[in-house]
Amino acid sequence: MAERVAAQPELYSISSEHPALNGRRCVACGYVFFPPQSYGCESCGALPDQIEPAQLAGSGVLNSFATVHLHQGKGIEAPFTVGVIVLDDGPAVRSVLTARTDEGLRNGDRMHSVLTTCGTNEEGNEVVELRFTKTEATR
Amino acid sequence: MKKTLREMRPVYVVGIGLHRYQRMSETSYVTLGLTAVREALKDANLEWRSVDSAYTGTALIGMAASRPMLRHLGATGIPMAQVENASASGSTAFRQACLDVASGIADVSLAVGVDKPGPVSSGPAKSNIRDLVGARAVPFTHFALLTNQYMNRYGVRIEDVAAVAVKNNRNGANNPYAQRQKAVTLDEVLAGPQISGALTRLQCCPVGEGAAAVIVASADAIDELGINRSRAVRVIASVTQTERVYRGAANFDAELTRATVAQAYKEAAITPADLDVVEVHDAFTIEELLYAEMLGLCKEGEGAAMVTSGATDIGGRCALSASGGLLAMGHPIGPTGAGQIAEITRQLRGEAGARQQPNARTGLAHMVGVGAVCVVHVLQNDN
Ligand SMILES: [Zn+2]
Repeated sequence: MAERVAAQPELYSISSEHPALNGRRCVACGYVFFPPQSYGCESCGALPDQIEPAQLAGSGVLNSFATVHLHQGKGIEAPFTVGVIVLDDGPAVRSVLTARTDEGLRNGDRMHSVLTTCGTNEEGNEVVELRFTKTEATR
Repeated sequence: MKKTLREMRPVYVVGIGLHRYQRMSETSYVTLGLTAVREALKDANLEWRSVDSAYTGTALIGMAASRPMLRHLGATGIPMAQVENASASGSTAFRQACLDVASGIADVSLAVGVDKPGPVSSGPAKSNIRDLVGARAVPFTHFALLTNQYMNRYGVRIEDVAAVAVKNNRNGANNPYAQRQKAVTLDEVLAGPQISGALTRLQCCPVGEGAAAVIVASADAIDELGINRSRAVRVIASVTQTERVYRGAANFDAELTRATVAQAYKEAAITPADLDVVEVHDAFTIEELLYAEMLGLCKEGEGAAMVTSGATDIGGRCALSASGGLLAMGHPIGPTGAGQIAEITRQLRGEAGARQQPNARTGLAHMVGVGAVCVVHVLQNDN
């Protein structure tokens, strides 16, 4: 049986259907950030050895969104919708949303991460990508 | 001890020249640049041999662009260098020319911005830090997201945001150097094609080719070289800052602009009420509103209402993007910041013809660039 692989394994793991994001935390000043890097802390200048992994829960609030109607990039098929999600764990991230258009989306919607199949690689494995989707109210 | 530009030797803009901004053509960057520099020399009534140093603002031409262009004015052996600072390349080249004169290293210095569309070799892309969206979020989507954020936060309609494009294209129609020289209606702006989010084509600036040149000189040089003092415009602040860490979904271009402008106002000893003409980095309609608010021309959230009220039209309280701005005049990258200085100088001289803001005395030029950087200059006619 073919395996599932992450399109960007450095940014998230696919062990859960609602993946956390691989953020980083500066031990020296407490700054939490995404995307991850280990060059040094942007907030206080601490050295790489002061930067530790920080799992950021894949949930947050939709700050803003835009449906891209026109895109000239190779292999990028418009329309698709990009959102800015302020994670419950602090940082704001930009992500592709599962909905192709912005129909039904509102600023302030609760959002969570999901895995979306985006193709197969040369080994025949299913490549999945982290996207965000609207969390439907469950009362 | 540190000094501001104003505490150093006075610097004056004495010559301006442009090659029209236009769609990419077969014209060499050398021809584009020389056209602008020769016009600036003529405007200042200066010989090339009087120029002591030269900076070329360019982001796309590539290595060693200056001398292959400027040698055709006569190889005088002066110091030359390229200045790359993304969209703010021309602004930063102008700053370097100002600093040469202010310090006394040069009496006369040239800043020329020149570019042609081409492949971009980008520092951020080479930093190997990948995010979730990658190439799927290009600049127009970055600003489409900010447009959505702004409209939601302040309850503003897209018609109000798009009004910026109507004003700026009306101004551009009177600017012979503008890439877009045609007035448009709000319906035409909104008609599309739709690019990203609520942004339509006419709410995004055209990126073509062109050149803009500015010559700055000291008071000594003005006297000794017989430059017309009454047409010289003083540079009273040159300030640049870079992005810091902002929390959550803060808009970094706006926050960076807020901080840079505050420093420029302090150094120039002016308030927003003193500004008669302002050119900002209006690559997208939303940006003019955000930066007008950060400049303190109105309260936050009131930018769209200010634009539709006519207060920022030519003849209004403060003419915003009288040149047509990036939206109509165009954004050929390297020239853009230098072109803003040319427009403000023309306005403060009272030589802007159909685009003239009455009694313009003080002007401000603002650019941001990928990285992110922000460059602000304040000019004043102290005659
Ligand atoms: Zn830190």
